[in-house]
Amino acid sequence: MKNRITTVIMVLLAVFVTLGGTTSCKSKKQLAKEAAEAEYKSRVEQAVKDLNAILDDETLWTLEEKEARVQTIKDWNLQNAEVDDLLFQVEKKLARERAQKEEEERNKNQQVEQKSVNETLESNFGSIARAGSTSQANRLINETLGLFESANTPVLIIIKQNAGFNDYDRPTTIENYLNYVKDQKKATEKIFDIKYNANGKINELELIKK
Amino acid sequence: MKKILATLAIVLCFVGTALAQDELSFERKQAIDSLALEKVRDLSKYIKIAGSKDTPFSEANRVIDRAEELFMSDAEIGVSSLSSNTITYYRVRKYFEHLMRLNYDRVEIEWYNIEYVSDLQRQPDGTYVGVITIFQTFRGYDAEGNLEYKDTTKKDITVYVKRKETQIGGRTIGFWDVLLGDMRVKETSNR
Repeated sequence: MKNRITTVIMVLLAVFVTLGGTTSCKSKKQLAKEAAEAEYKSRVEQAVKDLNAILDDETLWTLEEKEARVQTIKDWNLQNAEVDDLLFQVEKKLARERAQKEEEERNKNQQVEQKSVNETLESNFGSIARAGSTSQANRLINETLGLFESANTPVLIIIKQNAGFNDYDRPTTIENYLNYVKDQKKATEKIFDIKYNANGKINELELIKK
Repeated sequence: MKKILATLAIVLCFVGTALAQDELSFERKQAIDSLALEKVRDLSKYIKIAGSKDTPFSEANRVIDRAEELFMSDAEIGVSSLSSNTITYYRVRKYFEHLMRLNYDRVEIEWYNIEYVSDLQRQPDGTYVGVITIFQTFRGYDAEGNLEYKDTTKKDITVYVKRKETQIGGRTIGFWDVLLGDMRVKETSNR
């Protein structure tokens, strides 16, 4: 009898422990699920907040930081209609900003290159005018001609600017102009405008009397 | 009578406006005055280069081409000498060829006092015409560097400035075309 009682107690204990363990497991899963749901909700809220801020230009982020943020949100793979809609709008906006920035960088680089060409040209004009010999001047002329589409590239020289229009000297070619600088030993014009062809060679030069 | 007067007034008004449009501002006139003077100074440099015995033949020929472009097609340049009362007039290229053939080992040609004796005046056809005077000192040396000949000549150059248009890069460019006319010898001395 004593043994039976002991066995019953043991079984009851086992049942109790088993039931108790099962209840505990269920509680952990529930907690994990709730935590995941909370995190998802938090990420959706954060994504909506960030994307709206980007759309409304309310962040101080750089374009690269904004693009990185969008990538992080996409990596979250939230599958939320509101977030997906905002992502679509933000990606379009950032693509525009990227294109604009690249255009600005291209223009800036072009300006730097043009400034460099201006400086090179004006420096070469001065060197040709001051050349110690005809052969030295001719070498500089040939070097300078390399910047131009051809030796016949037109050169316009503004002698006077008047209310909206220019008075020019008779148009010449770059080869004749460079030889003129060599012959007269003077470079009394400065660069007013340069036009380039698709290959980056100068195809029109406009000078103005100093 | 009233009709005639009214018509006359309208015509005068149009003529006045047209004349006013043709008149150049002081600054623009000054710019073309300077441009014409500059062309004469350019010519002096070309004469100096072509006349120099140190100038390679190819360079001299190129310079003559440039000098020819400064002149009207039928322009002539007068040449005088202390040994003769005759003034010989050459076409521009012939003048330069004559200069290059001069029988000296070294020549020096200097132009100075380049200035207007008659300001540019607008002609009925729109061309501006003026006269620029220059003084030229010529020195010829022998192989030993001795001065063989020297004279100073006063010359008058007629200048023509006309507004023209050309197409460059698909746009119309209005420019002032300066052309030199005859270069007349006014006096020659041994100074």
